[in-house]
Amino acid sequence: MTMENPGEAIARAPLPTEKTLKQRKNVFIQLTRFAAINIKMIRMIRKGHHPMEKTEN
Amino acid sequence: MVILGAGVAGHTAALHAKRMLGKGNEIIVISPNSKYNWIPSNIWVGVGKMSAEQVTFPLAPVYKKQGITFHQALAQEIHPEGDSTTSSGYVQVTYTDPARNGEVSKIEYDFLVNATGPKLNFAATPGLGPDGHTVSVCTFGHAMEAAKSLAEAIAVMKTGKRQSIAVGVGHGTCTCEGAAFEYAFNVEHEVRAAGVRDFADITYITNEYELGDFGVGGLVFSQQGFQTSSKMWTESLFRERGISAILGAHVEKVEPNAVHYELVDGTKDILKFDFAMLLPPFRGVDLKAFDKAGNDISDQIFAASGFMKVDADYSGKPYEEWLASDWPKTYRNPLYPNIFAVGIAFAPPHQISKPRKSPNGTLIAPSPPRTGMPSGIMGKAAILSIRELIKSGSGAAVASASMSDMGAACVASAGSGLKRGSAASMTMYPVVPDFVKYPNTGRSVEETFGEIGLAGHWIKLLLHYMFIYKAKGRFGWFLIPE
Repeated sequence: MTMENPGEAIARAPLPTEKTLKQRKNVFIQLTRFAAINIKMIRMIRKGHHPMEKTEN
Repeated sequence: MVILGAGVAGHTAALHAKRMLGKGNEIIVISPNSKYNWIPSNIWVGVGKMSAEQVTFPLAPVYKKQGITFHQALAQEIHPEGDSTTSSGYVQVTYTDPARNGEVSKIEYDFLVNATGPKLNFAATPGLGPDGHTVSVCTFGHAMEAAKSLAEAIAVMKTGKRQSIAVGVGHGTCTCEGAAFEYAFNVEHEVRAAGVRDFADITYITNEYELGDFGVGGLVFSQQGFQTSSKMWTESLFRERGISAILGAHVEKVEPNAVHYELVDGTKDILKFDFAMLLPPFRGVDLKAFDKAGNDISDQIFAASGFMKVDADYSGKPYEEWLASDWPKTYRNPLYPNIFAVGIAFAPPHQISKPRKSPNGTLIAPSPPRTGMPSGIMGKAAILSIRELIKSGSGAAVASASMSDMGAACVASAGSGLKRGSAASMTMYPVVPDFVKYPNTGRSVEETFGEIGLAGHWIKLLLHYMFIYKAKGRFGWFLIPE
């Protein structure tokens, strides 16, 4: 079985730009992302929480 | 009702059981540990950013306040049919409570929820673990040792000497690759913060065939109008932080400062290290089962892995034929339907990542993760089912909580600090891909996403405080979702 060389794959991976790195640490941008991620997670949690859906024994 | 274990699944089940079934029913929890441990935050203990006290609390006062009976004891035998002296099912336990240490007792049940979690199987790899040559973050005790060893390695780096750091999993069949990934990036952050990043060679060694697999076969999510993979996304993070990787690896043995491993292609090599945190493989705890006559029926109740059989398809189909519907919905033992197994304690029907064998016949197959959110949901579902069974008898409809129909969130912190922290936030829905429902990627692209940034770190902190609040059974705890 031939495996991809992980070192080569990592070396080929895209690097984030300076702008992206700054955005990842910018408190104001991240506050909006915090809200957005929470909304996404709540939506996903709600979709998975259906404990009253029943399966016949 | 008896619940074995007081981790995420067992403790969640216990709190809900008291809330839903408390009147007229006794809720009993049996756990060998005196403390609850919010395990996801052990990563921070393992780099010295949190103390053990911040991730644990004593169970006894919480159970006393809730009106739950707590036995600090190790369950060793299940007798589902009772024995010659009783027709009730019971669990035989040996107390670990200092006041009754070593005392053996029988605890009868009408319903049993097995939420024992895993046995940390360090013995599967010679030299692995705190009794060998590596550290772990699986328990808060292990994590404290890891933090101490890491601090020693950083102290050496400060003298100008290079250190090789290995982080990953210590066997071809390990799970929890996400935790190993998270620890690798926390270590990277710590050495950077200590001003010695240039003296650290960090290598992530894993059984995953590709980066970003996380034991769930990788993720596909949409980002800025394109579908992207967790592989590319994770490789980018490794490049950005200067961490190298060894993939598709089965660790054969660990010697002082040397990890011996075999790759999927059959080649063998050695990774030298000065500090190594390698997670162990899991297996079921040492729990036996006996019928009324005292015959050992463990092989009927438990899978070969030691985890309990539930309503899953264990026919051992080839990987290509596996279906999302093979996964359990009710977590009831087929032989004894008044026994449930939830969280890590149930036997998964198959891996989610494609299992592979090296030309030497070594199995290299990440095991399915089933910790955290799915564990809590399963624990609650078991209690909902028991409530219906008590109310309507054995023919009652019961709750469903298949991992092929629930999502999971994973927030892997990659640094700390309210302003300087970072984390990779990921969600997936469903955990087990369903290629019938989602033909292209097996998962909903809307509900599956990944993002890196400070916001993820805040979410991880929020989850830490929120879930410890919930686990303490404080006001309104049940409003916090699993």
